[in-house]
Amino acid sequence: MSTQKFEFTPENLVLYKEYLTRYDDVQSALLPVLHLVQEQNHWISPEAIAYVSQLMTIPEIKIKEVISFYDMFYDEPVGRNVVHVCTNITCSMFGGREIYQGLLKHYKADYLKPCDNNRLSFQKMECLGACELAPCMRLNNDFVGNVDLNSAISKIDALP
Amino acid sequence: MTEENGLTDKEKANYKDYALLSYHHIPGVHNLEVFEKAGGYEMMKAAFLKDPEAIKEEVKNSGLRGRGGAGFPTGVKWGFFTKDRQAQKYLVCNADESEPGTFKDRYLVEKNPHILIEGMIISAWALGIQKGYIYIRGEFYHQAVTLEKAIKEAYAKNYLGKNILNKNFDFDLYVHRGAGAYICGEETGLISSLEGKKGQPKLKPPFPAIKGYRGLPTMVNNVESLAAVPWIMRFGADAYKKWGTEKSPGTKLFSISGDVNKPGVIEVPLGTTLKEIIEVHCGGMKDGHALKAVIPGGSSAPIFDAETSYAVKMDYEDVAAKGSMLGSGAIVVINDKRNMGDVLKWTLEFYHHESCGQCTPCREGTGWLEKVFKRRESGKGLVSDIDLLDKTAASMRGQTICALADAAAMPTQGMIKVFRRELEEYVSTPVKK
Amino acid sequence: MSDTVKFKWNDKEIEAKKGSNLLKAALDNGIDVAHYCYHAGLSVAGVCRMCMVEQNGVPRPFPACNATVNENIEVRNDTPKIKEAVSATLQFHLLNHPLDCPVCDQAGECGLQDNYMLHGKYDSQMTDKKVHKEKVQDIGCDVMLDAERCILCSRCVRFTGEVTKSSELGILNRGDHAEITVLKELNNDYAQNLVDICPVGALTSKDFRFKQRVWFLEDVHTTCIGCEVGCSVKVSQNKNGAYRVKPVLDEAVNGYWMCDDGREIYKHVSSPTRLHSLVANQQSLFVPAEEASLKEKLKNKNVKLILSTHLTNEEYRDVFTKIKDLNLAARVEVALYRSPDVGPIFDGILKRGNKNANLKGAIKNFEQFGFDASDDHCKKLMANVKDSDAVLFVLPEMSQSLDHLETAVKQISKAALKCAITPNEEWSFVRTFDFLCPVPTFLEKNGTMLNYQGLERTLVAGMSYGDNSKTVASYLDWV
Repeated sequence: MSTQKFEFTPENLVLYKEYLTRYDDVQSALLPVLHLVQEQNHWISPEAIAYVSQLMTIPEIKIKEVISFYDMFYDEPVGRNVVHVCTNITCSMFGGREIYQGLLKHYKADYLKPCDNNRLSFQKMECLGACELAPCMRLNNDFVGNVDLNSAISKIDALP
Repeated sequence: MTEENGLTDKEKANYKDYALLSYHHIPGVHNLEVFEKAGGYEMMKAAFLKDPEAIKEEVKNSGLRGRGGAGFPTGVKWGFFTKDRQAQKYLVCNADESEPGTFKDRYLVEKNPHILIEGMIISAWALGIQKGYIYIRGEFYHQAVTLEKAIKEAYAKNYLGKNILNKNFDFDLYVHRGAGAYICGEETGLISSLEGKKGQPKLKPPFPAIKGYRGLPTMVNNVESLAAVPWIMRFGADAYKKWGTEKSPGTKLFSISGDVNKPGVIEVPLGTTLKEIIEVHCGGMKDGHALKAVIPGGSSAPIFDAETSYAVKMDYEDVAAKGSMLGSGAIVVINDKRNMGDVLKWTLEFYHHESCGQCTPCREGTGWLEKVFKRRESGKGLVSDIDLLDKTAASMRGQTICALADAAAMPTQGMIKVFRRELEEYVSTPVKK
Repeated sequence: MSDTVKFKWNDKEIEAKKGSNLLKAALDNGIDVAHYCYHAGLSVAGVCRMCMVEQNGVPRPFPACNATVNENIEVRNDTPKIKEAVSATLQFHLLNHPLDCPVCDQAGECGLQDNYMLHGKYDSQMTDKKVHKEKVQDIGCDVMLDAERCILCSRCVRFTGEVTKSSELGILNRGDHAEITVLKELNNDYAQNLVDICPVGALTSKDFRFKQRVWFLEDVHTTCIGCEVGCSVKVSQNKNGAYRVKPVLDEAVNGYWMCDDGREIYKHVSSPTRLHSLVANQQSLFVPAEEASLKEKLKNKNVKLILSTHLTNEEYRDVFTKIKDLNLAARVEVALYRSPDVGPIFDGILKRGNKNANLKGAIKNFEQFGFDASDDHCKKLMANVKDSDAVLFVLPEMSQSLDHLETAVKQISKAALKCAITPNEEWSFVRTFDFLCPVPTFLEKNGTMLNYQGLERTLVAGMSYGDNSKTVASYLDWV
């Protein structure tokens, strides 16, 4: 695991400053900032936590609390592409769980662990809010619905 | 049903009559100019000519009830809010939509973001609020982008920002993305998350209307509630009350999924029977299977068996009278090939995963309900476990800061009440490896 | 008081300030309300859900810690509904709690144990695998963390957030995987308060770990002599020794807390270096000596009596009275030795840099009896020690400036006869002295001191661990 120092790119620094203008205190910008860290680096490393802590004057433990609380924030490395498979009620009715297990088996993966040369991470998720497309997945930011194991695999294989 | 091209003339006509989806069939209505051409933002402009108190009164008279799940009358909630227009305060739109089975808010804003923005501007004017946030769940990335674009368009026309349309009224609106936590749909959990912390609900009192975001008066309303405001402004409270029932006036967006031919979002008057929703609007049961059960209002709502499903009218009162709740209007239709034990298992896993962990009864209870129900997986399930489940669920109710514990307990007790025999068989049958 | 109102709790009439915390009002009036997360020195969390009550006119039960006192309200926690709720909530607390009692220091003063005897269900139905978390973590500042025992009351998180503002502790994750943790380690001067406020054995003292069962200990309520604040404390002890120091609520002086330095003040009281008789220096070894040997050497000598600032008001008074009664003023010069400041004058929370516990009391008595308490006078006295002098140096009981003390001791070393009046043979430089004269420690005498605010602080005598101690004044009988 690399211990590279983290800091925002100049473009992201501009975005960060814009985020601050949306709120009446600095801490409120923490979730958008953490999303931005992940857009830059896929996950939030200890160095990134230290960076954000200094940037926003928030104790590191508070940032760690937030990361550990939310399903979409990762404090361990994840693959370049994150595949969310819904395993909630309607999706499970239509085989979502079997698809998830099938994908783990096919890519020899484990929950969230990067695989295929750091290209992919798989995460089972709660209801994605697209139950009319059950079984549904998210490939990074995109919803892909009405999938079966084969169509899921071919879409995932097409990811960069 | 979700494609513009696939609409029948009857359906198109229906949409124009209804309040929320009346623009949905118009291509490109996420663009401000298209929305405006179809009549959008007219009510916002008209609102600025009205006395804010009059607008609040109209919303109150309409009987509009909070569409997020609680069903609390929006106008009454607005009435608790401070009348000090100069004081610093916030309007927050709850677009966290994470109740399993619910996707109506997503469906609304991804096509028509401007209806929400218009609703929020009018509400902000009525309540004297200068800053607003749309808290949208993190998974709705593209919807957030759509909203941001729409907001930018609104700013460009001075429908947002300083001195809106020269009416000496400022209103800034921003999109704020969540990051994957169901509890952020609870209004004080949402506020904690907006503050940049874990989304843990806060003790009430104080109520958000008095002390909310950053300790200041905050009005939190669901997407659908706010989006209904422009229509109520245009046609008036009396017209709104023509739909629905006396205690449940107006229309509701229902998200239907599961074993139906046409899952999706519909808008119908409250009080429409579940039978009509399933058979007429959703094309009936998929593959001709018989209906076995329906979850009427999201996973927190106790389940209905087939008989009740065919008898119930979808309004707040009738659903409650039959032992469940309308909630978010998320309907999951379940056919007779399904095992109710599996459905309960998936439900318990959900609440265990989503408990924020603050309150002891919820934190430990949601974990234990799942463990007890899954004793069968190591061959240790007993029929008596169902009683244990029932008692444990009962002891979780009314004990906690927020209603998640109740939201886990109610479907558990509901499933036991309606499908006890099936659950007993489920737990006492060891899982074949 | 116009804002004091009357209300009823379980039919008992209580008076409390209107608008004050309802749970606190009950607890302050001796009512037994099971609770974990509430602490009057911290913000309200309302997460343990144990203090649920019913109130007339209120439709549902609610936690008393999030409610306020109002005139004539009738509150109950003795109804079947509440009793059932408390029982169920306690069961939830115990669900994943490890059965560590046999090896847990908290046993005997544990919130779970105490409430279990009153409200527990006794027949456990938890036959499933418990959630496991990280145990036995040394998190710094002499604190051990066992995350599995933690009931997530969040008191410790609130303490490091609100009191020390150092924010070392946090609770990660959701649901029953929520876990208390430090990112790096504790780093503040008040960390031991975490051990006090933790209702269970999740945060324990490394110093006290495995040393003694609390039911074999008795508490003495006295005053800390670590600095000029004089916090109210209680020292736990039995015939084998003193074991630990905890703060006692004192709204005028230290509130709910004490600093970590003060936790050490019990150590010299029952340490192995305690003196049990007069001892004489024989080639740097101290051996028991006959009183007569010292009496003979002291008689008719010119004495330089150097007093520490750790004596009680009564001890100063007795010394000066003795000097007067025995007409010793011509031969006995008295000075007051002050320890130098350590750290800032005030650290912003409690601790003060001036470590002279009874400086104000000493000065008051010196002046009352016409003696010079100034530092200049002491410096001059020590510089002018003659070889024909006898020096009686009442050493401070504890010191954070041993270099300074050692220098002072060296300064008086030219005197022919040097006696240290001290309870301990602890510091290496006491070998400068010819005799060590035992006295009681602060924990073994009754008396008063004046703290920096001029408030009277009380010392209470507990058990005694040093034999043949005499008072300072009584040594003057030998002069």
